[in-house]
Amino acid sequence: MALKFFVPARLAALAASLFFGAPALAADYQTDLSPMPLDDETKFIIDGRGNATASYDGKTFTVKGDFKGMPSNAISAHIFSSHLPGMPGPKQFDLEVTKSTSGTISGSFTLTSAQQRLLRTGKLYIQINSEKAPEEYPWGPKGTLWGWLFPAYEVVGPNVPQQDHWFIPQLDVPTR
Amino acid sequence: MRKKTGFFMGAAATVALGALGATAIVPAALGQNAAGPFTAQQVVDGREAYAAACAYCHLPDLAGTNDAPALGGVAFVGAWGKRTTAQLYSKIHLTMPLGGAGSLSEKQTADIVAYILERNGAKPGATALTPKTAVPIGSIASGKAPPQTAQPAPTAPVATQPQSGGGAAAQISGRQESAPASGAGNAPAQSAGNAAAQPGQSLFQRAMAGVRVPDPGGFGLPTRFGLIHEGNIQNYQPVTDDMLRNPPDSSWLMYRRNYEGWSYSPLNQINTENVKNLALKWMWSLPENGTLEITPLIHNGILFIWGTSNTIQALDAKTGELQWENRLGPAPRRPGPGPSTEETRAMGLWGNNIYVNTPQGYLYALDARTGKEVWKTHITDEKQFPNNGGTVGGSTGGVIIINGRVLVGMTNCGRKGDDNHCYISAYDAKTGKRDWKFVTVALKGQKGGDTWNNLPDNERKGGETWIAGTYDPATNTTFWGTAQAKPWRRDLRGSGDGATEYANSTLALDADTGKLKWSYNHAPGESLDLDEVFERVVVTHGTQKSILTIGKPGILWKIDAVTGKFIAAKQTVFQNVYENFNEKTGKVVYRKDIQNQKVNEWLSSCPGPQGGHDWQSTSYHQPSDALIIPLSQSCVFMLGNGSQTYFEMPGTNGNNGRLSAYRARDLKPLWSFQQRSPFLTGVVSTAGNLAFVGDFDRVFRAVDTRNGKTLWQTRLGTTVQGYPVSFSVDGKQYVAVTTGLGGGSPQNKPATLLREVKRPANGYNLFVFALPD
Repeated sequence: MALKFFVPARLAALAASLFFGAPALAADYQTDLSPMPLDDETKFIIDGRGNATASYDGKTFTVKGDFKGMPSNAISAHIFSSHLPGMPGPKQFDLEVTKSTSGTISGSFTLTSAQQRLLRTGKLYIQINSEKAPEEYPWGPKGTLWGWLFPAYEVVGPNVPQQDHWFIPQLDVPTR
Repeated sequence: MRKKTGFFMGAAATVALGALGATAIVPAALGQNAAGPFTAQQVVDGREAYAAACAYCHLPDLAGTNDAPALGGVAFVGAWGKRTTAQLYSKIHLTMPLGGAGSLSEKQTADIVAYILERNGAKPGATALTPKTAVPIGSIASGKAPPQTAQPAPTAPVATQPQSGGGAAAQISGRQESAPASGAGNAPAQSAGNAAAQPGQSLFQRAMAGVRVPDPGGFGLPTRFGLIHEGNIQNYQPVTDDMLRNPPDSSWLMYRRNYEGWSYSPLNQINTENVKNLALKWMWSLPENGTLEITPLIHNGILFIWGTSNTIQALDAKTGELQWENRLGPAPRRPGPGPSTEETRAMGLWGNNIYVNTPQGYLYALDARTGKEVWKTHITDEKQFPNNGGTVGGSTGGVIIINGRVLVGMTNCGRKGDDNHCYISAYDAKTGKRDWKFVTVALKGQKGGDTWNNLPDNERKGGETWIAGTYDPATNTTFWGTAQAKPWRRDLRGSGDGATEYANSTLALDADTGKLKWSYNHAPGESLDLDEVFERVVVTHGTQKSILTIGKPGILWKIDAVTGKFIAAKQTVFQNVYENFNEKTGKVVYRKDIQNQKVNEWLSSCPGPQGGHDWQSTSYHQPSDALIIPLSQSCVFMLGNGSQTYFEMPGTNGNNGRLSAYRARDLKPLWSFQQRSPFLTGVVSTAGNLAFVGDFDRVFRAVDTRNGKTLWQTRLGTTVQGYPVSFSVDGKQYVAVTTGLGGGSPQNKPATLLREVKRPANGYNLFVFALPD
């Protein structure tokens, strides 16, 4: 796992906005992109990893990320909303994506108030589809990589103990 | 996301798909009278192939069990109706059987597909099914087997339960030809020309039945059972009730060491300062194949261990010298890692005996000094239920011995079509006579009997007890967790939104009578295979005595041990199955789509059946009041028949494993670390402020109980799996742990998700560590 560094100021700003129930202003979000649901039959076409970050300044929602190691070329990337993390939902935005097995994703959008709320509560996710594992793959909700955008949180390397509280999406995003 | 797919082949398929519509499954819509794309001979051959390769997990009647999805009925058609025969072929050919993917030939696979289709109402025709035959399953299969073929597939013959006694060990040896010295049990050897081959028997099964067979896999399994090596242990001190209540520091007499289930050793010779010097003292190779998740027991300097084939061995705990060995049998049903129903987790010691429950449902008392059988009984009196592959129930959780009784739970019991139920039962430790039993589902007229949507008693199933209970001597109460109601999907179960007492509950029973004192249902109406069956840890703070437990949803529960009232709860990993979970009241509310689930719709479950927590037990480090808990972080999508696809838990950065500590008094998080591989052992903590735990990727480590820092680690041969223990002999402290394979979701999910982790398919061993002399 890649080691990322915690940015206290960002979290403080986020915590303040959440505490006071304000819209997500100047907040930062992050996700790791991981393989979508797979089994022993489909794990050979659903693979790869990536990371993405997002920011929202009150007007523009900006997403950037990269990915690598997909078994076939990317064909599309989108942002979806979901009822809860881990559940697929309807498409919200299309992202630019490198049509390759590795590359980048990006996009800038204007959010409605409903979409702002989805972002703030961890209910927007990025999905990348590839040639061999497109969005409409027949066996379940399939694509290739996905990841939920959560408020910036501390990610430490494997086997590094964290004291006291550690990030659990339910407990670290506003109420559903 | 769920949209109709357009690649079904042929005009008929296209018409069928149009008839089905985008989401609705109408199994009988097309081709109900048309011949299917397979022949009657394929069905005949497929029945035999299914019996040999599939029936053990999916059951002879295709009903499925635990991790094996149903392959028949509404559940199967709901899951597979929109897919083609080619996709079913591909799925089976690439992934089955479990642990032996790719071992079925094209013909065997096609025959099995034909058999499954026929058992779901498809009619054989003149054209043989091939790997490329792609017909929508929903267009030819209704889910109803025709009357003439409604009988289940035969159970694959295996080595029969042997009688006690026997001679010298013989092993299948050599890669080209094996020649057992004699058959199973005391049966005479059979020559190659006299093979008692049964249709559908695999080479492995033939070998285990004592038939001379080629051994391309080099299975290396014993074919002899009985008292292979008789012991003569001198000066053995009988284990008393008082010892069980107050275990000597040097010992490990039961599952979690003490009645309260702490898995805490008061030994401190190995500590945070010197653990870096820990070194291997001896190791012992255990029988290969099957499933190993056992707790070694130690008393009087003797280490007792269970191995696959129900092989019980006594070893000098200081040197590893074998003292006696009794192979109770039978052998695992197939080579390679076994399923979760083929193991036991804990034996028990009392008097001069050691007590063993077997996955086949037998309960044995063996003389701990010699290994000789003292008595043997069967938990269900050997009641047969062929649809379940044998008897009406087995036992995998282990035993606990209280007041001269052996208490044992049941696994794989209480299934549809079987009039019996799961129960906890108690046996006189001296004679094996059953004293009492407690049925773990509430029947009509009982407290909680009105929580099953008025189902008849014989349709109230589940409540397995596949983890041994704990005990509070002060109140003479034994505490057990139960698994969910069966079938575990509420839409198939027929229980509506009923709470299905006493499933997924904590049960408090009078240890002498089995009478229910109280029950607490953690997940009323559970519907996602998320058991709440695991260890019940008894902890006392001042005047308050509590039960602490955590189930697959990953919620740590604290319940009043005397009254059964909710005290507190804490979420430990992400979950999305409860729309609402109130940590102050303990009330859970399932998501609407779970409440209204349908067999042909995918459901997300975080955690999935790997569990936020599973059988890998918590340790209670009493000096720091810390519960040290192995956690796992994966999710699934599942269909109505139990078919699943897996994914990493959101917010975990791909780290499937987590070890976390919580303060028992107030459930405050203390420390936590995560890693890619899940932990596949229970935790043992010690007075040396150390916690030992092993993982999927072969690492066995010691962490500081105060902060979670890893202070020592080593890499072993294969997955570190089982329950580590600590003990002492002649004043020297040891730590013992097993490596092994087999099991259910805790093995299967990471085996698919963690593709980069490579493990040997063998290496069932016992390792014993200590500081240098």
